[in-house]
Amino acid sequence: MAGTFNSDLHLDIKAFGGKDVDMCMNCGTCTTICPMSEDSGGGFPRRVIRLIQTGQQAKLEASLDPWMCYYCGDCTSSCPRQANPAETMMASRRFLTARYDFTSLARLFYRSAAAEISAIILVGLFVTGLFVAFHGPMVLNKVELNTFAPVHAVELGDWIMAAVLSFFLLAGAARMTWWTLGRRNMFRISPMIFLRQIPVFFVHLFTQKRWHKCGSHPSAVRWFKHLLLVSGYLSMLTLVLILLRWFQTDTVYPFYYPQRLWGYYATIALLYPTADFLISRWRRKEPIHLFSEASDWIFLIMLFLTALTGIMVNIFRVGSLPMATYVIYVIHLSIAVPMLVVEVPFSKWSHIMYRPLSIYLAGVKQAAANAARKLEEPEATKAAA
Amino acid sequence: MIASANNERRKNTVVIGGGIAGLQAALDLADQGYKVAVVERQASIGGRMISLSKVYPTLDCASCITTPKMSAAAHHENIELLTYTEVDSISPGPHGHTVVVTRKPTYVNAEKCIGCRLCEYACDTEHPDDFEQDLGSVRAISVAFTNAIPQKAVLDADYCLACGLCLRACPTDAIEFDQQPRQETIHADTVIVASGFQLNALTIKPQYGADKNQNVISPLTLERLLAPHGPYGRVLRPSDGKIPDSIAFVQCAGSRDETIGVPYCSRVCCMYAIKQAMLLSGSLPTADITIYYMDIRAFGKGYEQFYQNAKAMGINFVRGKVSKIDSADKDDLLVHVELTEEAQDCVRKQRHDLVVLAQGMIPQWNPTASSPVHIGRDGFVATPDAGSPCSTNVPGIFVAGTAGGPKDIVDSIAEAGAAAMEAGRYLSMRGASSDSPRTVALELMA
Repeated sequence: MAGTFNSDLHLDIKAFGGKDVDMCMNCGTCTTICPMSEDSGGGFPRRVIRLIQTGQQAKLEASLDPWMCYYCGDCTSSCPRQANPAETMMASRRFLTARYDFTSLARLFYRSAAAEISAIILVGLFVTGLFVAFHGPMVLNKVELNTFAPVHAVELGDWIMAAVLSFFLLAGAARMTWWTLGRRNMFRISPMIFLRQIPVFFVHLFTQKRWHKCGSHPSAVRWFKHLLLVSGYLSMLTLVLILLRWFQTDTVYPFYYPQRLWGYYATIALLYPTADFLISRWRRKEPIHLFSEASDWIFLIMLFLTALTGIMVNIFRVGSLPMATYVIYVIHLSIAVPMLVVEVPFSKWSHIMYRPLSIYLAGVKQAAANAARKLEEPEATKAAA
Repeated sequence: MIASANNERRKNTVVIGGGIAGLQAALDLADQGYKVAVVERQASIGGRMISLSKVYPTLDCASCITTPKMSAAAHHENIELLTYTEVDSISPGPHGHTVVVTRKPTYVNAEKCIGCRLCEYACDTEHPDDFEQDLGSVRAISVAFTNAIPQKAVLDADYCLACGLCLRACPTDAIEFDQQPRQETIHADTVIVASGFQLNALTIKPQYGADKNQNVISPLTLERLLAPHGPYGRVLRPSDGKIPDSIAFVQCAGSRDETIGVPYCSRVCCMYAIKQAMLLSGSLPTADITIYYMDIRAFGKGYEQFYQNAKAMGINFVRGKVSKIDSADKDDLLVHVELTEEAQDCVRKQRHDLVVLAQGMIPQWNPTASSPVHIGRDGFVATPDAGSPCSTNVPGIFVAGTAGGPKDIVDSIAEAGAAAMEAGRYLSMRGASSDSPRTVALELMA
């Protein structure tokens, strides 16, 4: 629970990937080298590491600082103890993600690759089983995907899944808000402040523009690749959740038709960055890709395979290969669904929510502090008079 | 080169390095009657210590401790000083160690030179003075420094134009342009390695900007600025000669840092920074002096009190490792630091006139190429036997002072005594008579 002191916190962080957290001797080099830290009053990385070393779990959970780091790796390369502060920041984000999740599944998945992979296989087999048991008639002389898997049924499944996953994700977001703003403060802050800051959430969700400030090396390329990935992901989400009836069709439209163009864009925007990130992690090219936990690999591989099988469905459908289309469709969903079920609320995917939310909450805190100062000022001048 | 009778010596001990540790070891052995040769690569003995201003924690004058030892060594009947001499190799044999040295040409006949410095005054070629950390200049032919021993002129061939002015000025015809390097062999029963330390480069961490701003200086430079007989006789900053009003000491700027391969503590920086801060507040009473540190390691006798005195004197101690130093303008500096003991607003860019980087101590000499002596992972001479802290891996070769690891003057002197004691014990066990420089074994060999 928030509010507890945990003398084993540093061991916990190690299990989440921050293996060198004990090496730190708190010299503060990382904090001054960090291009993002000054905005938050020099709150990280050293102070986050200090919280971990001293077991102040409640303070760590109440901190937004881990989310302000975009992992340029400058701190790690300049650390005199080679204590890898950047990876400790990453591990504390994993830890917080696990703490925001009230089911403790995230904790299980982050700490055990076997558990995460088992869960993915289990959900995958469940989806395959559903299709084996309940699929529609297989028309074999031409491709009729909507006969094999009626779009309204798939859509229903989509929405049920979206509702369940949103519930878990929003529960996590609520816990994050609760802990970081503080129980009392939450109701003291004017609702207008909460409303006025909402654009901040969406700006950062769609642009990730803070990345530009990060790092002594120009990170524009990495920012662009990530932006491409997000745009591909959000495109695909729109296509399969809101526009599924238009997207999953047996009509083969001409190539330039928006339905196909948008789909192709989303596919490329998913495939290229995930492949690039996988290669970079494999070759340890960039500072951010030097250290990879199982959760990092699983997320990227699942995302890559989802996009790959998705485009193969399209290829077989357009190529008029009915049986191949049906089989790859089942495989596609047996990868996509577990990817979403496991990653969205319980693993790395959730940062699409927590990242912009943290910036939003930091904005709310700042605005509330400014408002409080304004209230105090007139009183102070009165007192002086 | 064929070894002739002139080129061979027999000694009980060869001490490599004529700094404070080497001199102490040499004196301790010579006083017991052993014959000692001190090999020094510089033109004068005295080592690093003779260039320092004062020593902690007593604030005694460094020359006042070093010079008597230098001259005692120079005048000791059992000590032979081989200055301006490099060690080529040390090879142990069954009958002792053979040390081959190269005596670099000074182009001045040491027998004839009387140290009158007329050559120096006559010479009109100048170059930055090593001894003054390049703050002053020195002539191409000169006596190494004021209180150098021996007081003999040395001609630096890198700068000499061979114009002949010194030749004409010399009253004793001591100048010999035709001198050549001369290899010599010393047969010795024991060797004491006291080759000392150097500081790692001021620019080793490029983020400290020493290559961009002259006012980021070495602590040895500050020693010269503070020394009463220093280049300016007062504290001025290098870039524009301004009297600095705000001085920062950046600790651990070259040690305890894995990124530059010096993970160990250099041990002396905390204390000399405090000492220099105290001396500065004496010579510049209105200046602000800040020491940025990670921990103050005041480990020795009287050191903690010294540290507390410095605090009481108003020297500002700030906990936090400096990550970066920018130039605020052409001369002033901005020190980036996290004030790790402040609750809020802790990332600062502090403006200073002068910044002193506590460079790391690294070994001056690597013996592995020319001798069987092992070094440890830190590069310093390895001392594998904890019960005999001055013994190297080779029987009969001992180590003293900072050649074996970072240490301060007090510890270097104590260790030099210990090394001399161990060498003396080794000599007596081998049956070396202190009155005769030759052991029985050497007799057999000869």
